[in-house]
Order: sequence, then C-alpha cells, then structure tokens
Amino acid sequence: MNEIEKLDSEIDASCRVSLLALFVGAAFWLVVASVLGLIASLNFHMPEAFANCPWLTYGRVQPAADDALLYGFCIPAGLGVALWLLARSGRTPVRGALVPFVAAHLWHLGVLVGLIGILAGYSTGFRWLEFPRGASSPLFYAYLLLALWAMMTFGARRERATSPPQWFLVAALFWFPWIYSTANLLLVAWPVRGVTQAVVAWWFGDNLLFVWLALVGVGAAFYFLPKFCERPPQTFYLALFAFWTLVLFGSLCGIPQGAPVPAWLPVASSVAAALLLVPLLAVVIVAWRAVRGSVLSKWDHGPFCFVGAGVVCFFLSGLMWMALACPEICRVTEFTWFVPAQAQLQLYGFFALTMFGAIYHILPRSAGFELPFPKLARAQFWISLSGVALLVAPLAIGGVAQGRQLQNPGISFAVISNSTLPFLRVSTTGQLLLLLGNLIFVLNVFGLASAWKRSVLKKALALVKAPLETAEVQA
Amino acid sequence: MKNGFRIFLAALVALGFSWCAFVLAPVLQLGAEKQTTVLNSSDLYPVQRGDFAAQGLQVYRANGCAACHTAQVQQDGVGCDVVLTGMGTNQPADFKAFMKSLCELPDLQNCSDSLSKNLAAWNGALPKILLHGAREADAGKLADKLSAAGLKSEVRIVATGPDIARDWGLRHSVAEDFLWDDPVQLGSVRIGPDLANVGARFPDARWQLLHLYAPQVVVKGSTMPPFRYLFKMEKTRGEPAPDALKLPRELAPPSGYEVVPTDQARELAAYLLSLRAEVPLHDAPFTPPAPAPARPNKP
Amino acid sequence: MSDESDHIPPEPPGRPPGPRSPAPMGFFILTLVLLFLAAVYFDHHSGWFNAQVYHPFVNANELEKYQPKSGEAALLARGMATYERVCGVCHGNDGAGKPGQAPPLAGSEWVLENGVNRLTHIPLTGLSGAVDVKGQTWNLSMPAMGAALSDADLAAVLTYIRGSWGNKAGPVTPAQVKAARAAVAGQPPINGLQALKALPE
Repeated sequence: MNEIEKLDSEIDASCRVSLLALFVGAAFWLVVASVLGLIASLNFHMPEAFANCPWLTYGRVQPAADDALLYGFCIPAGLGVALWLLARSGRTPVRGALVPFVAAHLWHLGVLVGLIGILAGYSTGFRWLEFPRGASSPLFYAYLLLALWAMMTFGARRERATSPPQWFLVAALFWFPWIYSTANLLLVAWPVRGVTQAVVAWWFGDNLLFVWLALVGVGAAFYFLPKFCERPPQTFYLALFAFWTLVLFGSLCGIPQGAPVPAWLPVASSVAAALLLVPLLAVVIVAWRAVRGSVLSKWDHGPFCFVGAGVVCFFLSGLMWMALACPEICRVTEFTWFVPAQAQLQLYGFFALTMFGAIYHILPRSAGFELPFPKLARAQFWISLSGVALLVAPLAIGGVAQGRQLQNPGISFAVISNSTLPFLRVSTTGQLLLLLGNLIFVLNVFGLASAWKRSVLKKALALVKAPLETAEVQA
Repeated sequence: MKNGFRIFLAALVALGFSWCAFVLAPVLQLGAEKQTTVLNSSDLYPVQRGDFAAQGLQVYRANGCAACHTAQVQQDGVGCDVVLTGMGTNQPADFKAFMKSLCELPDLQNCSDSLSKNLAAWNGALPKILLHGAREADAGKLADKLSAAGLKSEVRIVATGPDIARDWGLRHSVAEDFLWDDPVQLGSVRIGPDLANVGARFPDARWQLLHLYAPQVVVKGSTMPPFRYLFKMEKTRGEPAPDALKLPRELAPPSGYEVVPTDQARELAAYLLSLRAEVPLHDAPFTPPAPAPARPNKP
Repeated sequence: MSDESDHIPPEPPGRPPGPRSPAPMGFFILTLVLLFLAAVYFDHHSGWFNAQVYHPFVNANELEKYQPKSGEAALLARGMATYERVCGVCHGNDGAGKPGQAPPLAGSEWVLENGVNRLTHIPLTGLSGAVDVKGQTWNLSMPAMGAALSDADLAAVLTYIRGSWGNKAGPVTPAQVKAARAAVAGQPPINGLQALKALPE
C-alpha cells in the first residue's frame, strides 16, 4: 500500500460512522417513501379503501411519500456524498466524526417526527414544506452541523486548488439553510400575508427540488464520471459556466405560469426557465466529454450506469421543467399529472439514481466491506431505471392527454378524471418496480452495515476476552 | 480559503438575487395588501370569514385537500360581448336585413364571421349575444352602429378561457382572493376540479356534506375518495337530527341510526361555501352577469 | 464490483488541475442571445412590476381598456370620447378653448348655468356673432356640431363638459336634449349675445 492509498483509506475510515448513519437511515426512508407512495396510488384503484382512515387518506399519504423521499432519502444521501467527496477531493480526513454521526441521527429523528406529523394531520399545507414545526428545527440544526463539518473539511483541504465538483457541493451546503430558514420563518413561524405565502413556497420548492438537488447530483456526477472512466476531468471552464448559470437562472424558476400573482412574477420565472437551456446543455456536454469513448467498455460497471442514467434524467427533467414554464406549453400541462411526473423524474430518475451509483461506490470503501449482493445491485439498475420510466412516462403522457381534454370545456370533468385512471394504474407498476429496486438497495446497505457492526462487535468481544496483562492485574 | 470564499460569494449573489426578487419584493408588494373595493361599488372585498369557516381551512389543510384540488382560476383572455337588449323601433324583418348589411361593412370585417354565425340560428329572443369575446374596438364599433340604427345594445366585458367556460369562475384569481387565508392553499394538480368559486357553484351546505360523505351519489363518475371519517353514526333520538345525511338505500345506516357530520365536516363545508370569487375587481375586470350576486351564506 | 477499487487510479496529492479547456465562447454567445430575447419578452408581458397587472393583461393600459363602465362612469366615458372626436378640435381636449377658434368651456358661465336650455341649444343650432365668455368677447361662428349626434351622445357630451376640468354642474339628460331638439327644429344659428340671453335659461 503506497502513501496515496493509505491516505485514501484513512479518509474513508474517518467518515465511516457518519456515512453509515446517513446512508442506512436514507435507505430506510427510501423504502418508507415507496410504501407510502403505493398506499397513495391505491386510492386510484379503490377510492373507498381508506374512507374511514384519516391517517391514510390521499391528501396526507401523498405528501408524506414525497417528503419521505426528499427529506428522508435525498438530502441525507446527498449530504453523505458531499461529505465524502469534499474529504476525498481535498485530501483531508474528516475530524471529529462523532458530530456528523449525531447530526445524522438528529436528522432522521426530524424526518420521523415530520412524517408522523403529516399523517396525523399537522402538515403545514405548503408543498415540499409539509413537515410541521416540531420537525423543522431538528432538521435545520442537523443540516447546519453536517454542513459545518463538511465545510470545515473543505476548509482544511490539503489540495488547495478547487475543482468544479467542489463548487457545486459547497454552494449546495450554503443553499439549504438559507432557503429552509426563510421558508420556515415566513410561512410557519411568522406567516406573511395572503398569496405571498404561495410565492415563498414556490421559491423554496424550486430552490430545493431543482437547484439543491441539481447542485449535489450534478456535482457528484462531475466527480464520478471522469473517475469511473479513469481519466482526469476534461472540462474546467464549461463546468464552472454550468455552475454559474445553474445557480443564477435555476433559482428564479419557481413561480408557475397560472399563479394568481401580478404578471411580472410568472413572466420572470418563465424567462429564467428559458435560460435554463444553457446550464442543461453545459451539463450534458461536460458529462459527455467525461465519458466519451468509455461508454461501451463501462457498460457493466454498476455505479457508472447509475450516475450516467442520472445525468440523462436530469436533462429530461430539466426540459420538462422548462416546458412547465413555457407559456404556450403550460396552457396544456399546467395543473395536470405532468407536474408530479416532472417532480418524480427529478427525485427518482435524476437524484436517486445518481445517489445509488455514488453510494455503491463510496460505502464499500468507507466501511471496508464488499457489497453483500453485488449481482442484485447490478440488477437493481435495470429494475430502478424501468421503474422510473414506467412511473414517469405514463404520468407525463397522461398529463398531456388530461391537459388537452381540460382545454375543451365540452368534456365534463368526471370524464376527464376517469380517462386519466389507466395512466395512473400503469404508473403504479412503475412504483412497484421502484419498491423492488429500493428493497435491493436496502438489502445491500443494511447487509454492509451489519457486516461492519459484526466485525466491530467481534473485535470488542476479542478485546474483552483477551487475557489481561500482568501489570494491569497487579494494579 | 480564497476559492472557498469565491464559492460562497457565488452562492450569495445568485441566491441573494433570487431571494430579493421572489421573497423580498413580493413581501413588500403584496404582503401589506388590504381589502379592495369591488368594481363600480363601495363594497369591500374580500369579506373576512367567520371563525367556523376559518377553522374549516385548517381541516382542508390537515387532510391535504390541495393535493387534488387547485383553487386558482385561469383566464386566457379578455373580450367584449355585444348583447342586443332591445329592438327599439325596428321590426325583426328589417333587423335581419340590417344585420346582414352590418356583416358586410368593411369596419366590421374582423368579426363579421362570428356575427353571422351567431345570427344564423336566432329566433328573435332577447337578450341576444351578437358577439362573444370580441376585441374592444370591434365591440365598440358594432355597438355604435347598432345605436345609430336605434337598437339597444350593451357591451359587456367577459373573461375567456376553458376554466371560465367550464363555469369554474368568472375571472382569473387574484392576490386579493387569498387575503385572509393562512395557509394559502392554491394546489398544483387538478385531480379534482378547481375550488376557487365552489361556494357560488354549490351554495348548499347539505350538498357539500353529502358530497364529502359519498361523492359518487351526487356527482356521477366522480373519482374522489369518500371522507367518511369526517362523519359519525349515531342512534336517532326521537326526530332525526336536522343535518343528518339523506343517503340512498345502499349507503343508509341501519334503521334507528343516522349519519351526522362531525364539527370538522361542518367547518369544512362552511369553508367551501365561503370560497366565492365572483365579484369584479380592478385587476380582474368583467361585467357582473346579474345585479350584485346575493350572498346567502354569510357567516 | 469487488475489484473495482484496484483499477481506479487514486488521485495523486497536489495533482495539477486537469487540462483546462478554453472558455466556452459558444455558450457565452448563446446566453447573451437568450438574455436579449428574455428581456424583450419580459418587457412585453410583465406589466413592469405593476401589482394590478395579471395574466392575460400585459400592461396597465390594456387593463384600463377593459374596465367595465356602468352608470355615471360609462356616461362620462362616452361623453369624453364623443367630445374629443367632435368638440375637442376647437375647444381643446382640456376645455381651455383656443384663441381665434373657440372660447373656453372650463369655468364658462354659459356652461355652468343652473338651467341647461341655452347650453343645449348652442350645439343644436350653432352660434354666431359676438358673445362674452369669462369677461372676454369672442366674435366667431360655430356650426351646429351637435345636430348629427344622438340625444344620448349629446347628453353625454354636455354632461362631460359640465363635470370636467373643474366644472361642477349637474348632468344633462337625453330627455332634455330631445325636448330642445324638438323646440329648435328648423331654427337658424343663435346670433350674438342678445339672442343668447333672450333664450330661457
């Protein structure tokens, strides 16, 4: 083992407990999200199923499923990946790893409280910010601690020159506390008046769901893709250009076109969304230059497939996001299933797939154990990918069909909502496939974690059983 | 830490700009909004909800009604209806000839097609909409021509678009509509119909309650799940309770029992009835269809 | 994936940054073009931060154009439109009159009289010869500009004149115009101050 590998394994070991805490919890919430999502979609198969059960009514389960995915899986997974990436690319181990370990547990506790809150009817009522007050403070402080540790690791880096992935990840660390505190203060603690609430909620949703996820996911992809293809990053300025345009234009996209607010707000969002074309193209070109010529040879490399598919989904979901802001197209797509289709593509297709790839790469190194079921992990790529396709495509197509019918006032609303049901039922099979994929992920992460725990216990047991040194006996 | 500071600055600039544009500016512009007056009237809008209906908003929030229902009417355009209200001294026979000549006037060529289409199947009944959703200039010209010929007509401003045609509202939703809402529940997907004006469309609380208990009974083909947990079954004591649901036989409780709404259901129904966005405002102008709509559900 | 750690070369410490590609000029140009188009679109559709302008309106003028008029507002709007078309050319859209063309209407004693008979007569028959308005003598000739207007339009114009530019006198009804029109049928223009004064108020 040479110097470099020694440092690498030292870094990996330094964030081991934090990463295990973040990823194990994230995997758990991922399955919870799938199950809640399935319960929600049951309403379209048998509307009377939960007529007597307030906890499982669609309006509660559906936001709970989305938040379990976003807050339960996406953010802790993203934070774990950011922590490891900043440590590795800065060539410095994480110090005081107990703090992120505790913060990770605090985060997952917050998610638990939040989900129970939503199901019990204490949702705040704002999209993507449904967690009640009791959950938002633990989440905020847990994030602050995790971000602080990641920042300190970044600040203490030995490799001073920064690379584009570090820009993406460090900006993401700043992003969340700002938007989360603004949204919670102005919507929950001291609510602003009237429709301003909706504007703040849209701004928050866009900055979390589009910008934060893009910063972390694209940052990770820019790091991993060249690495998987065993070559140095090919593009520096274009990646920075993608970063700047993404944060400048992406953060202005949230206001939907039909919003009941003065015209300048949706028009500003609309033009910002048109400008999103620049970062989207830039990201795709950077990714393509990184993988060019290696796609076929890396076809059987699991993490590569996950991250590559994630970038493709990012491009598609970005195009859908632009379509939703284009005045001509959104007359049809607005208020239809196209809107959730875009969100699911962003959350599952782009972010979750990228994170699967990253975690499958990071966790075995950090924990020091191989994946227990590598073949299943390989199969999971195809299962999850087809799950995403079967979930998103019917919703998007059904959304367009629904929108076209809504444009025709001669078709009664009941007819329209019944004609979307076949699409929803197909998308349920997508959810089933995703659940299967997520179960495989959990199996691998939990198996790895328990292998590590067993080895720790074994060592501890060996220490306990070891004969004491004579000097100690005398003392 | 030079590079680190640069990244921080980048995030600060980008997010700061977006924060100023979409948080600070709307708070300054809309956050201090007050009631406004209804067009051509001294009434203030919106009227504050009673406690009961305001509590209903919390039921709406807690059960995530906004996951399926929007409360924001869309408007594609604005136009003028020219309505013929009186024939003056003209006889219907001359009038047809006169209208035919109008259709051929060069000034009115923009709207002559729709004018002749509207006149094709007319049986002489008044009032008659001659033009629908026309441009203001065309409507004005036609009205001038009609008044010069001694006919009585009225130019009405109307909102156009599929939502309006679906009778979901009379105009687009504006910030004023949500002045008293906390939290504002706009919704983002129309799995169910828009509710911005549901109180005017279904002003009967009994209808709303029955719809919550058994949507399919009152709306054929509805896909809405029933909200039975907002109701309770009780033993009938003497006379049936005044708000006991009148259910069809297959849903009716066993004899001696009745289904009555809980307070939550009553509050929710009161909130739904309070959703009435039907008055013209300066920022959402239209000519109201009838003399000042009555508000039977005042809390 | 068991052996993958072996074939990924670890980064050497202090690795020089990868080959830096040239600045993406094509992207800069694309961004600038899109920014320009965005600015044009914003200019046309945003209503420039006006809190009253919502989609489908694109600016404040558009919004004003579609305000429904009823009762007095509608009458005044109609009167103003007709006045600016028929009368404003000589009397000025501000009612201040024009030297050598027409005397002022703003503050004119003839306009503000309690009775409206004289005022109604003037546009129906015309007026010629010297008259005093606001202490100044005007010797001009006005044709019967109002004879071609309908009763309602002339009433609207007169109401507008009596209620604008600081004038605060009551409205003129179409019935009053109709009665005056019947009374003056076939008469020549009013000739001079004496003839005007001879008319009942």
